[in-house]
Amino acid sequence: MNLFEKIFNYQVLARLEDSGTFMITSHERAWLKTMLDHPAAIEAFTAETLDKLRSLLEQDQRMNTSDHLLEKAKSTEGQVYHPLLRPLRRHITNTSGICITYQLKRGQVLSEQSGLPYKLEYSMVKKEWYLLWYHLRRRAFMRTRLNSIVTVSTESIPTEKAELILAHVARTLDSRKSDVVIEIVREYNQELSRILYAFSCFEKDVAYDEEQDTYHVKVSLPGDEMEFLLSKIRFLGKRVRVIEGNYLKRRMLEASTKALERYGADYT
Amino acid sequence: MAKESFDKEIQYLRMLTLTSGAYNRQQFAERLGISVHTFDKTIKKLKTIVNTTYQQLAPGQEKQVSESIRYSYYESIDPLLLFIFRAKSVKESESYRISLLLAAMSEEALTTMELMDICCRDLNPDLPLPDEKTIRADLKYLEEVGVIKREAGTRPFRYRLHNDLIQQLSDEELYDLYDYVDVMANTQVPSVQGYLLRDGLKKHLARNQVEKQVIEPFLYKYHYYSRILDEAHLFTLLRAIRNRRKVCFLYFSPKAEKSYASQNTNPLFERDHEGKVEQTLPLKIIYDHQYGRWYLLSNGREGVRKYRMEGITQLEETEAVSEELWDKKSSELAEKIKYSWLIDTGRPVTVRARFFNPGEMEPNFIRNRVLLQGQWGQIIEENDDFFVYEITVNGTFEIKPWLRSFGSSCEIVEPIQLRREMIAEWKEIQAYYEPVRENI
Repeated sequence: MNLFEKIFNYQVLARLEDSGTFMITSHERAWLKTMLDHPAAIEAFTAETLDKLRSLLEQDQRMNTSDHLLEKAKSTEGQVYHPLLRPLRRHITNTSGICITYQLKRGQVLSEQSGLPYKLEYSMVKKEWYLLWYHLRRRAFMRTRLNSIVTVSTESIPTEKAELILAHVARTLDSRKSDVVIEIVREYNQELSRILYAFSCFEKDVAYDEEQDTYHVKVSLPGDEMEFLLSKIRFLGKRVRVIEGNYLKRRMLEASTKALERYGADYT
Repeated sequence: MAKESFDKEIQYLRMLTLTSGAYNRQQFAERLGISVHTFDKTIKKLKTIVNTTYQQLAPGQEKQVSESIRYSYYESIDPLLLFIFRAKSVKESESYRISLLLAAMSEEALTTMELMDICCRDLNPDLPLPDEKTIRADLKYLEEVGVIKREAGTRPFRYRLHNDLIQQLSDEELYDLYDYVDVMANTQVPSVQGYLLRDGLKKHLARNQVEKQVIEPFLYKYHYYSRILDEAHLFTLLRAIRNRRKVCFLYFSPKAEKSYASQNTNPLFERDHEGKVEQTLPLKIIYDHQYGRWYLLSNGREGVRKYRMEGITQLEETEAVSEELWDKKSSELAEKIKYSWLIDTGRPVTVRARFFNPGEMEPNFIRNRVLLQGQWGQIIEENDDFFVYEITVNGTFEIKPWLRSFGSSCEIVEPIQLRREMIAEWKEIQAYYEPVRENI
């Protein structure tokens, strides 16, 4: 199997698009057939559709990468699909409102809240699905674990109102981000690639000062997600230093001070 | 003609995604080991592909490559770097012909001669008309890649588009399929074929609906989107492994300053480059979830060899080895990496760490994270205040960053050497922030 095939060429694709032709290669079918073996497939399709798909792919090969491909430092894969994804994606597609009952962190249950769902978000770190929705009465942006949802049903919402809310959501989400600047400590420039890989999952800009031979990484992210960035910074340890962002600096000082206290006598 | 390679483009895209905005043309060219002129040519080619791939752009709205692949969490819904897998060159006449043939075969099953007639009728008269041999070669290729199917029956054979997958599913089922492909391509490896399928399904769904609906309800948080660049070599390497063949490549260690060297056809012009020609027997591919990087583990003259996939260029399969030899080397390697946190094949050590529970009020996110990410390690002791985690790993180098990422919630107990190192590092880190204590 070669990924660089004529059939995937951009001009061929553009012309097929013009004529409205759908084509699928054996590479893609082999990938799909392999993925259908994953337990998540059972949550993703009705039994009837899954049977249909399997019989349609009967003649195809599996990809069989797993014999020679090993994944390391992988989290336990708790949840790839969730039974609520199918109904919730339909609510989102139809721009319909929801009436939702869900559990809070400490076990308390909030009943029948009205809202408008707009995205389903998977955390690659926690391996869990979340529903992003707008709480109508509280006018708040909500993020609820699908596992915490007790019940959810359709509730009508006027189209104009839904559209206004979605536009408001789109405008607001981006503006809630803030910037943090991290310097790669020059002695570790040799490890540049590794360090930049660690930051490659963020929205970022990198600046290089040729004279000083120094890199600065500006990361943009919402305030409530600083915890994850902090864990990355601690992960990289002395290779990086926060140079803009007082909250992070304070937290790093706190972490190092407290860590040293843990080590007690050994430290002094 | 030399086999078309995309090493240079991939190296550039990787550098661009990692160092977003840091380098100018000159600096890029230097680091890629090519001239500014070649660099400009590469960019021009990529720009054409990007702008054709994302056709919805109005004229004058064409984007620079660097802009198009700028990652933004809420907006980068489509895989940014997928377009590189659209780069294989095809002559213009061929791209017209292939797409015309496929469109024709989507309506009904046709014979070679009928397809010839269609080409004569519908192809732009300015383009050279194909002969029967060309059409036969096209059909053979299309059948090989599984896009068309030969119908049962006698000569002359009829061919039709192999697209039962969408013909036989209802719209409702196609949405389920699209969602599944989207989720699996984003959360599993390898992904490129999944992303290609996702792209095809997305266009198909968009064509068939009257109202433009949201067909992309999913977001993936903290996702290593550039990992697909390394899949370019993945299948070549997997094939070599299956065929028990050695491979040969020019390797640039990621620590080297340059990451590509032009492949000069005339040896007189061969420049010195820092890459090193390696010949090695591939045994295993590793994907590291911690950084989103790929490795090749192989057997060379010196024993186990480890390569970062991103440093591999001009990859080629070479001689085969015996099944016995491969089996022997492969089981030796399996034994050596049994306790690798990532790929370290050093001496196994037992690491013991004490993790402190957060206050009673919160769910125990520390414990949850250790259980989720701690690989084969075990919790061997537990009380209200802390728990002790134990793991046997090859060397402490690779697990150290993970342990450190827990900050003051983790205290290394053993080995004593690691405990000392961690203390020293926290001291240094504290020193980074200490002077500004008053200001923060």
